[in-house]
Amino acid sequence: MKRGFVRGVVLMCLFPLLAFFVSGCSRVSSSQTAPQDEVVTMWHWLSDKEDLLESLAEQFTKETGIKVKVDVFGPTETYKQKVIASAQTNVLPDIFGVLGDKKDFANFIKVGYVKDLTPYFEQNDGEWLHRFYPDAIKTVSFSKDNEYGIKPGIYGVPLDMVTIQFVYNKDILKQAGLDPEKPPQTMEEFLKAVKTIKEKVGVDGLVTGFGELWLVECMASNFAWNIMGEEKMIATYRGEVKYTDPDWVRVFEVFDKMRKAGVFIPGIVIKSNKEAERDFARGKTAFAFNGSWCVNVYKHMNSNLHFGTMLPPKISDANPVGVWGGAGTFFVVNGKSPRAEKAIEFLKWLTEKDQQVRFVRDANSLPAVKGCEEFLAPEVRGFLKAMNFMYHPRNFPVQEDPLVVDTFCRGIQGIIVGEKTPKDVAEEVQRVKDKQLKKRARR
Amino acid sequence: MTWTSLYYRAQRFLDYTFTYFVLTFVAILCLYPLWWMFITGLKTDETAFIGLGAIPPHPHWENFYIAWTKGHFGMYFFNSVFYTVVVVFFVVLFSSLAAYAFARLEFPYRRFFYTLLIASMMIPVPGAFIALYVLIDKLGLINTRLGYILPLINAGLPFGIFLLKTFFDKLPRDLEDAARIDGCSRLGIWWHVALPLARPALAVVIIFNTLNVWNEYLLAMLILQDKAKMPLMRGLMVFRGPHSADYALLMAATTITVIPVILVYILMQRHIIKGVTEGALTGI
Repeated sequence: MKRGFVRGVVLMCLFPLLAFFVSGCSRVSSSQTAPQDEVVTMWHWLSDKEDLLESLAEQFTKETGIKVKVDVFGPTETYKQKVIASAQTNVLPDIFGVLGDKKDFANFIKVGYVKDLTPYFEQNDGEWLHRFYPDAIKTVSFSKDNEYGIKPGIYGVPLDMVTIQFVYNKDILKQAGLDPEKPPQTMEEFLKAVKTIKEKVGVDGLVTGFGELWLVECMASNFAWNIMGEEKMIATYRGEVKYTDPDWVRVFEVFDKMRKAGVFIPGIVIKSNKEAERDFARGKTAFAFNGSWCVNVYKHMNSNLHFGTMLPPKISDANPVGVWGGAGTFFVVNGKSPRAEKAIEFLKWLTEKDQQVRFVRDANSLPAVKGCEEFLAPEVRGFLKAMNFMYHPRNFPVQEDPLVVDTFCRGIQGIIVGEKTPKDVAEEVQRVKDKQLKKRARR
Repeated sequence: MTWTSLYYRAQRFLDYTFTYFVLTFVAILCLYPLWWMFITGLKTDETAFIGLGAIPPHPHWENFYIAWTKGHFGMYFFNSVFYTVVVVFFVVLFSSLAAYAFARLEFPYRRFFYTLLIASMMIPVPGAFIALYVLIDKLGLINTRLGYILPLINAGLPFGIFLLKTFFDKLPRDLEDAARIDGCSRLGIWWHVALPLARPALAVVIIFNTLNVWNEYLLAMLILQDKAKMPLMRGLMVFRGPHSADYALLMAATTITVIPVILVYILMQRHIIKGVTEGALTGI
């Protein structure tokens, strides 16, 4: 018995030892055998677009002779770690994506890892620039008075866009005797529609992933945009307007009003967006609040789901309604790359109409480039219609303190579950804001 | 039959019923996720969340074939087997040698080094990612199989040493003395006496490390770049996008990936149970 065990161990030694030495000899990969200065490397995290990007890269090579190697690293958290680690060791590829907020983007620019693409966008009377929707470019640009001290300019190339809107189930609206082609436009109409649907169809009103704070912030800032407008929001972030201002209290009151009207599906504040997507796809609610990526998600979950998009219900006539949006996927060119020119050439080619259509059509995402509308699914076109109402607080010259945003969102969650009043939340947020302003002043 | 014997029979029956009820309940809790995974692999994306756990009326067996081909599992499977065998072998080899030394040899700062080694178990691997990446880069091992294997061996050593040392500490010294009288060297004692007796503990080390290496993904993403060198978990990524997932294919693919681990567990099961009952896990 013992001899058999020992013999087994000895035999087991042979394979791993051989394998270990073989592995040590495998340093030179197929890609590394090609001259490095000829191959443009691109890193991305879009695992569902792996084949598409590889075939686009192959097509580009055929057309131009420039070799492009596309590597995918997902999920996003892993990709982020890889990019940060590679930046520290100066082994970033020629093209990569910066995931995170504007501050992270600014940090990469400051250390020279992101090339200023403004001159390339402006070449030939801005031919490249004019291909894009202006809001797609805003996300990858830094304005004159940006708080990060970055030289104004365009630093990235958007490949698609994202808007976050209300979607509604057409069949449920029909069953409730409402016109599925005329969704509610004002908050009053919305509350009335939810009441009718609950009475006649017996399904809940709205579902969204309010367990994820960014969605709370998104909906609340849409209401704020409509109630007080951009200038006042920016003034609040600067500390010139208080959160106890009647307009902000009104924003919080909208959530209270929705709670009292029974709009929210039970447990909404602990729902992830994935769970919320499942609920809406299975017809558990009439309305959902979600990003434009949901078109593909819902189609996967329930191909018989008939849904439409609508703008956020209007609360005030003082300002137009607003929809969060901007560039979704964007790439930057490594400022230290010797192949930067070739990398830019590839990105330029990738944002030509034909390639852009291929990029967005299969994934049902929103194009960053104009002129692709006719190739999109009707639901995607619905999201595209909101383009004129698009804004994003991350594109403001001033950003709100993360701790204030956190308190703001958690306060709204408190209102939704009935633990806090709008006034309580306004005061609580202002207290945190004052504290953070003092801290900033000391610095 | 007396009343007393009837009473004891009834009591025993109730005891068994209760025990089996609890064990069945726990078994269902453990097996249900595996069953759900397998069954979902036979469904379509639309029906994935309908009829949880029920066998679909029209099972899509082709999902397993699609998952295998679409996920390039042939290539990744070989890579994972290679990484697992190499890492597990070296972890067993180095940890058994080190554990034996810590248990039986007297050398300066023995306790200090042992504590240092155990302390390294407290550092989560993702927390050391950037430092590790810098080190691997300095060694020129980025995007090499060796660059992936070395950190995995390193990660498996503290637990292996800790477990085996606990086991070796309990081995009767008389056995070693007898071997020494017969002319065995230190290394001979480790090979002929300590290692065969430590089979239950070795089985635990093997199964733990097999699981860790087989399921490893984050480090591979960090160190490796070429698809041809990636492990099996990379194949699963194909079915999961940033926003959506192909649940049916993902579950079919996951079923494929867990089969080898289940097989290893079944093979090692006898030793693991023995290891637990004989105190191999007393130190945990």
